[in-house]
Amino acid sequence: MSTIAPAPPVLTSEDAAPPITRRRRGRIRWGMWISLAVIALFGFAPVYWLLVTSLTPTNLVFTFPPTLFPREISFDHYATVLGNPLIFGYLRNSVIVSVITAVLAVAVSMYMGYAFSKYRFAGRKSLMYFVLSSQMFPQALLLVTLYLVFAQFGLLNTYLALILSFTTFTLPLCVWMLKGFFDALPDDLIEAARIDGAGPWRIFHSIVFPLAAPGLVAAGLFAFVRGWNDFIFALTLAGPDRQTLPPGLVNTFISEASTSWPALMAASLIVSVPVCVAFILLQRYLVGGITAGAVKG
Amino acid sequence: MATEISRRSMLRYSVLGLGGAAVLGLAGCAPDGSSGPAATPGGAGTPTDFAFASWSLSEEAAKPAVQSALDAFAKSDGIAIDTSTYPYNEYLNQLTLQVRGGQFAGAAQLDVAWLSALAALGKLTDLSALAQGRGYTDAALGAGSLDGKQLGLPWTIGAVGLIGNAELFDKAGASLTPKTIEEFEDGLRALKGIGVIPYAASTKAAQLKDIVVWMQTFGSPIIEDGESTIGDEASVKAVEWYKKLYDDGLIAPDVDRAAARTLFAQGATALYDDAPVGKSSVVSQSPDASLGDKMTPIARPVLKSGDTPQHVLWGHLVVVVDGEGAATAADFAQWLTSDPQQSEAYFTELGLPPTTEAALASEAVSQNAFVEAFTSTVTSTAAPSPLWAYPSYAQMETAIAEQVQAVLIGQSSASQAMKTAGNAISGLL
Repeated sequence: MSTIAPAPPVLTSEDAAPPITRRRRGRIRWGMWISLAVIALFGFAPVYWLLVTSLTPTNLVFTFPPTLFPREISFDHYATVLGNPLIFGYLRNSVIVSVITAVLAVAVSMYMGYAFSKYRFAGRKSLMYFVLSSQMFPQALLLVTLYLVFAQFGLLNTYLALILSFTTFTLPLCVWMLKGFFDALPDDLIEAARIDGAGPWRIFHSIVFPLAAPGLVAAGLFAFVRGWNDFIFALTLAGPDRQTLPPGLVNTFISEASTSWPALMAASLIVSVPVCVAFILLQRYLVGGITAGAVKG
Repeated sequence: MATEISRRSMLRYSVLGLGGAAVLGLAGCAPDGSSGPAATPGGAGTPTDFAFASWSLSEEAAKPAVQSALDAFAKSDGIAIDTSTYPYNEYLNQLTLQVRGGQFAGAAQLDVAWLSALAALGKLTDLSALAQGRGYTDAALGAGSLDGKQLGLPWTIGAVGLIGNAELFDKAGASLTPKTIEEFEDGLRALKGIGVIPYAASTKAAQLKDIVVWMQTFGSPIIEDGESTIGDEASVKAVEWYKKLYDDGLIAPDVDRAAARTLFAQGATALYDDAPVGKSSVVSQSPDASLGDKMTPIARPVLKSGDTPQHVLWGHLVVVVDGEGAATAADFAQWLTSDPQQSEAYFTELGLPPTTEAALASEAVSQNAFVEAFTSTVTSTAAPSPLWAYPSYAQMETAIAEQVQAVLIGQSSASQAMKTAGNAISGLL
């Protein structure tokens, strides 16, 4: 018995979508441009205001009504910031602890994420949610506990205290990020490597690790930025010699009775440069889809 | 792909993990190691190294003066002083954590409002013996005493009072010395006529605790016999009056201390509340180079003639936390706050009012017209806030602020809001 496939429905001119006219296409394009301009304005306005404030003399910063362009330009605040040796100490401390935190967080979370993604064991789901729930603890609660523990072990005012604490609150999300990434890697690829005789260690480091590079970079950047921006842990655990930029800048430019806004803005712009450079250098790794086509046929 | 891990293995790892957590937990609950005998202040024995905590050490303007005092004391005694500093807004939390964790002993700078909160930890040294015979004013000593003990020596003591721009008052024809609330209000209306915000009173929750002093002005004791009186007729009238100023545009929305200073510096308001410490901030952000000369302290008006103007104390203490080096730290606290030369040098560099009769009578103070006027018109009738006697004073101030804000934006009546605030405070006493 043979079956005849039903003929596809014939579309008439009434069924078809109305053709996009040149005028309509132009309107859509304008709409897109305007939307993008609004979004760009939303993103860049604070940075612009940061720049303008940093270039305005102190006595004109609060001029009312505010002006879009500074009436006078002064580089004094940049000179103040760059002439302050403490700022470079804070910068050095921030780089050290943020980089090591990122490396440590990625090193630990890639194994955890891989295990959660590709291994089946009792209590796996509960453990995964337990790891995530630790992200929900209030920072102040973790802080007090960490402070007392570090005090007992003599770790207060050390880089290690900062690195361990930053890693503590970065790890859960890194693990979940990387688990999601490993989930997207096809099991067939790993199975094929196993059939070819590769052990778990070899499979992870020779096959999975290179494919997971974008995910690892993303998780690393996330951990780096969390460490770079943290205020309260660094303020409490670092002591005067290991203080990072956020508490350092607050300490330097905000006082009981006043805030040196222009200098603070200048310092903020200067210290955001390393993060911007890191993102520019690593952005290609952040684009997904590198694994697309890893398995063909 | 699926690799099995046995239940036994998981159990083993879980036990190890829980053991680790238990160790960490025990470490957190362990004694803090600072429960040794209380220090004996008064310079007995050889001077020793000690620690000093201060927010001023991180402030560009104050650091040189404080550091030079530390260096001078350390040099004369041949000791080292280990310093730590935190931003003012984070300072109390950080110091509390350090003291509670047994990580800090020695002298510490303290805002007068924070004394009961830190004293609640039970580790402050009674400095009564060191407070005698040094010439501290009674008001200054009162700011550092709690439950009959002198827990802090006064370093600088002033008050929060009204500061007016004499030029704008003159232009509006308003009185710089209003005696009563009515006269004050008339002046505000005149100021409105020249196109400025008449009074940059606090209307943002962060600083709405300022209303407490107006409640006192209207006759509410705030706390009486250990009970909250907020919700009484006087406190309700005070808030209704504040709401009237708000509705009539005599005070402005969204103003806190920083905004008030900025408005005043820009000449956009004629009047605001501040302590003497705010003057340098106002002057530095003003395009008017002569604004400092126009800043005039004004005694807070009273409800009826003959009443005493109400002002809340403002200032810094030096307290001593028991532990290693506490005895020398106590000597340092006494020297820093009452040595004539040191007091005068500190005032000359920072303009912060000293705390001894001799220093206040010195030529340096009498030549500073602003501080001199502030001391006589504002500080002279200042007292600590009744709420400061309680460690949870900050939550009480927040409860008041939230309710007053509800009144200002029309979400609640003054009587209902103050009743709610009073109940919240009663729960915190």
